[in-house]
Amino acid sequence: MSDPVSRRKFLSRATLAIGGVILVGWAIPAVAYIFGPARAGERLREWRPLGSPAKVDVGTPTLFKTQIERTSGWVTQEEEVSLYVFTEDGQNFTGLSNICTHLGCRVRWVGDEERFFCPCHNATFAKDGRVTSGPPPRPLDTFDVKVEDGQLFVNVEV
Amino acid sequence: MADRVTGPIDPQSGAEPPPTSWLDERTGSRGIYEAIFLRNIPKVNWLFTLGSATLFVVVNQFITGILLTVYYVPSVQDAYDTVTYIDSSLPLGWLVRGLHHWGSTALVVLVILHMLRIIFHGAYKYPREVTWLTGVVLLLLTFAFGFTGYLLPWDQKAYWATTVGTRILEVVPFFGDWLLRVARGGEELSAVTLSRFFGIHVWILPALMLLFVAVHLFLVVRIGISAPPKKGD
Repeated sequence: MSDPVSRRKFLSRATLAIGGVILVGWAIPAVAYIFGPARAGERLREWRPLGSPAKVDVGTPTLFKTQIERTSGWVTQEEEVSLYVFTEDGQNFTGLSNICTHLGCRVRWVGDEERFFCPCHNATFAKDGRVTSGPPPRPLDTFDVKVEDGQLFVNVEV
Repeated sequence: MADRVTGPIDPQSGAEPPPTSWLDERTGSRGIYEAIFLRNIPKVNWLFTLGSATLFVVVNQFITGILLTVYYVPSVQDAYDTVTYIDSSLPLGWLVRGLHHWGSTALVVLVILHMLRIIFHGAYKYPREVTWLTGVVLLLLTFAFGFTGYLLPWDQKAYWATTVGTRILEVVPFFGDWLLRVARGGEELSAVTLSRFFGIHVWILPALMLLFVAVHLFLVVRIGISAPPKKGD
């Protein structure tokens, strides 16, 4: 640099620099604070009893419900998790989510037509959760289900 | 400011216009900048920065206060829980609330030091009486901010401090009872009190604060600041 920095220039640059540091000092907590709740937290999983496996009709998906306690922010409340349990032989059980994989509406089993139906965009799924018509991008999500000591259990996020 | 560039660029001079000239040509931004930052001031000392320090903390209170309202809920069921959530669950939430909490204390201290500087220098005299009066209003607004903000965490300290603080109004002759009910929004401290204090703290007081800070600063810039008094002044 040919000309030396004048006192005035130095001071105005120093002021700008300090101001910039202070601005960043506000911006970092602001960003962390606003985007914090968007972090995907780690969810615990738990086996929940659903009752006797005899309640499941062989060959027909049967709706089960279980209560979980879920905390969002400063509110903890009971939430209901519903799922269809399905078995062909009374031995091996599959748990199917009743949440449509398209946009999250609830699907229901229509016995006459032997399929799951989503009322939002007329999507249908087969017994095992495969998409048979409509916009859903993938089959119904599954739950791990097991039978232990004559009880049916489902593995859910709590 | 001989080298000031303003208005349409002179095609005769081959000088490159500064990048800000586009904006200046359309808004007069250069003039505003010069009036605020390049104005002449008398020979002063560090005590003259107390007003700027106050303004800085006010800006901090606005920024952190707005951030706090993102999660704070002014209801008797949620107030304390949301404050706890901000403090312990949100990343850097403790810092945001800490800046607001300590900023409020710093603001009261700075406002008073700033006022003392003005009193001891006699800087409130002609022609700066209106600047002084707006400053008095700003002082009262600061106290009102502190008083209403103190209740919002809705913990024991907040509850009893406000119980005692509002009770002082009762000693006013004749209207005491009525003033107390106005302050509390009823006979007792309640959900109504919390909601009112919140509304006053985040809407009414900030609006008044902005207005009076704007007038105060305009007058400081327009009239200029007074020099420290000399012997015999």
